[in-house]
Amino acid sequence: MIDFEINGRPVSVDADPDTPLLWAIRDEIGLTGTKFGCGIGMCGACTVHVGGRATRSCITTLSDVEGTNVTTIEGLDAEAKHPVQDAWRNLRVPQCGYCQSGQIMQAAALLQDIPNPSDEDIDAVMTGNLCRCMTYPRIRQAVRDAATAMTGDTNNG
Amino acid sequence: MGNKLISRMTNAAKPKDMTRRGFLVSMTAAGVAFGFPRASYAAMDPAAVDGVPIQATGDTFEPSMWYWIDANGQVNVNIIRAEMGQHVGTAIARILADELEVAWEDVHITHVDTDEKWGLMVTGGSWSIWQSWPVYRQAGAAGRTALIEAAAKMWDVAHDTCEARNGTVTDGTNTATYAELVAAGIGRSFTADELAALPLKPHSELRLVGKDVTALDIENKTNGKAIYGLDAKVDGMVYGVPMLPPTRLGSSVVSIDDSGAKDVKGYLQTLALDDPSGTVPGWVVVLGETLMAAKWASEAIAVEWSAGDTANVSEEDINARSRALIADPETGGILPTETPDTTAAFEGAADTLEAEYTTQTVLHFQLEPVNATAFQNEDGIWEIHTGNQWQSLILPTLSTALDAPADKIIMRSYMLGGGFGRRLNGDYTVPAALTSKALGGKPVKLVFFREDDAQFDSPRSPSVQKLRMAFDTDNQVVGMEHHAAAAWPTGVLVPSFMPKGVNGAPYDPFAIDGADHWYSVGAHQVRAISNELANKTFRPGWLRSVGPGWTNFAVESFMDEAAHKVGADPLAFRLEHLKAEGYNAGSAPNAVGGASRQAAVLQRVAEMSGYGSTDLPEDTAIGIATTFGQSRSMPTWTAGAVKLRVDRENGEIEVQKMWLAFDCGTVVDPDGALAQCEGAALWGLSMALYEGTKIENGNVADLNLGSYTPLRMIDTPEMEIDFVESTEVPVGLGEPGTTVVAPAIANAIYNAVGVRMRSLPIRPDDVLAALKA
Amino acid sequence: MLKQVVLGGLAVAVVGAIGFGIYAYKPAYEPIAADQNAEFDPLVVERGRILAAAGYCATCHTAADGEPYAGNYAMETGFGTIYSTNLTPDVETGIGAYSKEAFRRAMHEGVDREGRHLFPAFPYDHFTKMTDDDVDAIYAYIMTDVAPVKATPTENELPFPLNQRFLQAGWKLLFADFGRYTPDADQSDEWNRGAYLAEGITHCGACHTPRNALGAEIASAQFEGAEIDRWIAPALTADNPSSVPWNTSEFKSYLKDGVATYHGIAAGPMGPVVHAGVRELPEADLDALSVYLADKVGAGDADPAQSDAVLASLDSNRPDPKYRRDLGARLYATACASCHYNTQQIAQGRPDLGINSSTNLDTPNNLIHVILDGVNGPEGMAGVVMPGFRTALTDTEVAAIAAYLRDARAGQPAWPELEATVADIRVNGPQAH
Repeated sequence: MIDFEINGRPVSVDADPDTPLLWAIRDEIGLTGTKFGCGIGMCGACTVHVGGRATRSCITTLSDVEGTNVTTIEGLDAEAKHPVQDAWRNLRVPQCGYCQSGQIMQAAALLQDIPNPSDEDIDAVMTGNLCRCMTYPRIRQAVRDAATAMTGDTNNG
Repeated sequence: MGNKLISRMTNAAKPKDMTRRGFLVSMTAAGVAFGFPRASYAAMDPAAVDGVPIQATGDTFEPSMWYWIDANGQVNVNIIRAEMGQHVGTAIARILADELEVAWEDVHITHVDTDEKWGLMVTGGSWSIWQSWPVYRQAGAAGRTALIEAAAKMWDVAHDTCEARNGTVTDGTNTATYAELVAAGIGRSFTADELAALPLKPHSELRLVGKDVTALDIENKTNGKAIYGLDAKVDGMVYGVPMLPPTRLGSSVVSIDDSGAKDVKGYLQTLALDDPSGTVPGWVVVLGETLMAAKWASEAIAVEWSAGDTANVSEEDINARSRALIADPETGGILPTETPDTTAAFEGAADTLEAEYTTQTVLHFQLEPVNATAFQNEDGIWEIHTGNQWQSLILPTLSTALDAPADKIIMRSYMLGGGFGRRLNGDYTVPAALTSKALGGKPVKLVFFREDDAQFDSPRSPSVQKLRMAFDTDNQVVGMEHHAAAAWPTGVLVPSFMPKGVNGAPYDPFAIDGADHWYSVGAHQVRAISNELANKTFRPGWLRSVGPGWTNFAVESFMDEAAHKVGADPLAFRLEHLKAEGYNAGSAPNAVGGASRQAAVLQRVAEMSGYGSTDLPEDTAIGIATTFGQSRSMPTWTAGAVKLRVDRENGEIEVQKMWLAFDCGTVVDPDGALAQCEGAALWGLSMALYEGTKIENGNVADLNLGSYTPLRMIDTPEMEIDFVESTEVPVGLGEPGTTVVAPAIANAIYNAVGVRMRSLPIRPDDVLAALKA
Repeated sequence: MLKQVVLGGLAVAVVGAIGFGIYAYKPAYEPIAADQNAEFDPLVVERGRILAAAGYCATCHTAADGEPYAGNYAMETGFGTIYSTNLTPDVETGIGAYSKEAFRRAMHEGVDREGRHLFPAFPYDHFTKMTDDDVDAIYAYIMTDVAPVKATPTENELPFPLNQRFLQAGWKLLFADFGRYTPDADQSDEWNRGAYLAEGITHCGACHTPRNALGAEIASAQFEGAEIDRWIAPALTADNPSSVPWNTSEFKSYLKDGVATYHGIAAGPMGPVVHAGVRELPEADLDALSVYLADKVGAGDADPAQSDAVLASLDSNRPDPKYRRDLGARLYATACASCHYNTQQIAQGRPDLGINSSTNLDTPNNLIHVILDGVNGPEGMAGVVMPGFRTALTDTEVAAIAAYLRDARAGQPAWPELEATVADIRVNGPQAH
């Protein structure tokens, strides 16, 4: 039995401790917004936050997250109105949408650490997230837009 | 069964009231589940949180099978196309809503499940909008006409004094909403002839088409609620992972030893599939209570196979075979070009040019690996839950595999985590169905891990193309030949789709389209050749932009080579041969203007890019290319220019900017069109420089991202994309952008450093070798 | 964490047998009854709890999935496997029958209640420096707050004659320096407090000081660095290979939170040292430890953020459009940079791998361990996880990433035999979790 918090709620999952967190989230807990892409941590579709940091859940084991706080796309914002999500919608970034949960989670983590990212910063951090529809130009712009929205809020607040 | 989640979540409700159909299907967030509604409604609304489509309130008016309007004025549009990123439901619904004159907020879409009544269900070839345009406009016009007639009758006025706008009919004095009219009851129906005769709104009156509308599926694709095939969940299901035989065809299982898996907790059993359809010969499926139990068990199971005869085939073998086939003039189908006999042109030529182009195997690598969930429901119907692009193609195969009549099989619709043509071939549903069949109809979710997905891909075939051109004594082009050898996806999977060539031999249009270009080159022979060694080594697939994705690399590289040979500027040389005469003059409705429209987009892109400017830095150049998109019958006039710099030290190519111009007729969805073209162009770039694998020992060599290296954020250059304003028939945009990028890059490399790259992908080491040669 | 302590039984060869016999003999202390101890002062018990934590006693005296302090934790030595003892106050199988004096003798002299010599896997050579008061406090804590568990540890798997406990006395004669800590008059009180803790209860040298062939710490080489379980315990001297010098605030952050922005995180055997251990110490003690350790490495007080090494590392971290040319660079860009990239400054929680200790050590072991098995639970920053790439990357790929980081990021000479080391650690290195 592995205990941790997901989206602010405590869970105990009774599964093999070596089970990738991804499958525990999807199949045991039933939150399917987090996606499976490559299984080797190189496409980013499975990105969640562990302790607030972007983490590839396909190679993170259940035992790794014992006692931690995990956030998935479903819990990024209660109303799904995180500035990154707003920017994604405004620019209509998603095409097939399959990678976008991971892209959004990665972008949200990026903006926490680097609130005003340069294009170079965006490239460096987001290159780990593959998008086969090739929505990269819009992802790049959406990250910039979200940064503006978030730093603007901070300044006004 | 399975690992239990002991949830302390406060809202972890037990599914309630979900036993309508025996199997619970839950596809959602924590603990919420719903039973699939009745089969006819069992479809997907990508705008709804749980994917359940809108239910009608009160009476409905159903002018055609494509939609209904209910007593609340809500409109549900039935979509037979698969949603895989093109926002196709939104685009189709807005065509209908525009003609119907209904408020966009009242429009809902339903991606329907398979049913004979829908006819051919296929999403590919960039056909969706082109084919839907007349159908849904007529359907919308029918509804509008009937509602106006009903209002006129109610007010006892002539119906031509009434008009409909935004869900309301008015004659200037009276008004009635569609909701009121439907609630009052409308019984009007239309014959096919009546439908065809209905007046459509003039282009100037279109209010939704061409306007900015947020696609209905966007919201759920930003909050984790969109439901893909891999998210399907059926109560009581077990998980299966395949163990793939050493060859795609011809392998059989000799023995299975699962003793090593007995200790894996949750391991259930291992099945050697018996496949009457021959789709997955020699397949083994390992079952577990959880996905990882099945996966871990599969790693501990030893299977001995007898391999098929392609076990040692390499990409080099396939290309050698292609070259031998090209050398034999008796092979292949010759396309009905204007003057396919080039004998005289070449015999009398003062000079000729010849070049060979090759392209490597390419994987789809759609991000959602293929998967399918299958079971037999309590009505004896086999349900296949999966994302698929060509249901009509795989249903007969499933029927054979399951030994069940087609009307006892239904495919449920899900979002596709990328299509790109992979899911046109629904072969991945067959092992899921067979596994469930072996378990007596028990629900099985068959999941392909990435490596399995890659090995089982229907890749873009490697190709070899030989192009020739004949010149007269004045260096004028008098003849051209294009011989292309590759595996034939249509030849293998839908031979009935293949037209016959002028020599009586069938050919796969998807393995030659593009070669039958709109340049006037005198005698023009285009020969498509099927490489049977490739056909049996792997299942050739349709991959975004299919044939034109690689034929145009040859055509448009070769046009540059020809221009340089005769000392002409490649832009001027092309324009000179886009004469729009005779065979290339074009025809209504789809190709009005012919080659002149191709010339126009080419000129446009040359202007946008500043092609021809002489003040570029050293080793930096712009290359151009132009195509007609996917096929002569539905041309999307396309041109591209790429600016790049070649690093002579290491052969690296720095793509600095790409420009694309399109004439696709009417642009139905401007933002969606732009998105499709951005994606298509970047696919072109990815396949030009970064993507490519090889067949080794009968399988693709690269199975995951450790060695397969598609384009990523950091590789994405600046792009500028322009559309020609047009009121012509809208044609496809999902693929054409892909077709121009590789040749534009090859041409730019030549312009920059003077080396001609004739193989895709173009790797730095190859450039370096060419520079040193 | 002394999993790999060599046993010193061979010492017998150099000691006169008779004299040794007299030396080796230790009398038994009378057992006490379960209720014989008076109630302890709660303040003393609390101090004992903190000291027991700072000595991370539970780490070695708790088996995987076992009850706390019930022993039976397996330690692979070069000679065989030994199992830790049951420290719970169970009278029969634990130390419930130990009087205060018996416990003191165990801590200070490495002799159990019945007079048997303890193996030096138990670092009594450090605990000997502790005051009676501190040892008594730990005793009070164990007797008061640790639940008795009836559990007999597995018999040690040692060959003859190493299993002859009395021979351990020879080892002590040769190598152990018994006696309480003596302050250095030339140093501040804070420094001396730090030294007392580091050399005593936290027994830093047990891992960071190299050992001789018989498994004893080499006193003249204190803190010069050593290998343990295929991990490197880096030098805590002027030879420390960090590209950015340690200073007191880096040590403090490391010991308190398991992370030092300019060096890395406490992983592998060091994980529990921080997370199950020294972080429990009061601020003043952590400060003292940091002052002492900073002095040992000869730290200056320059701002690491402005150091040339940091600026150079950030510069070499810029995304390179030609990242595909090198396998390691490509894999780093696709699998690592999303978490490890930094822009103007190094952010805590985004370990910069150019200056990270793991890429600047003389051997790649620590880096390889972390790539393969990640950082989680009782390691690194609390609540933050780095996934392991054990199932995701081949040996060639891990080696390529390590080579890239070593060369392009740390600017250090190549590690030899890299791929072979990856293969060895993959198969033989204990997984940290």
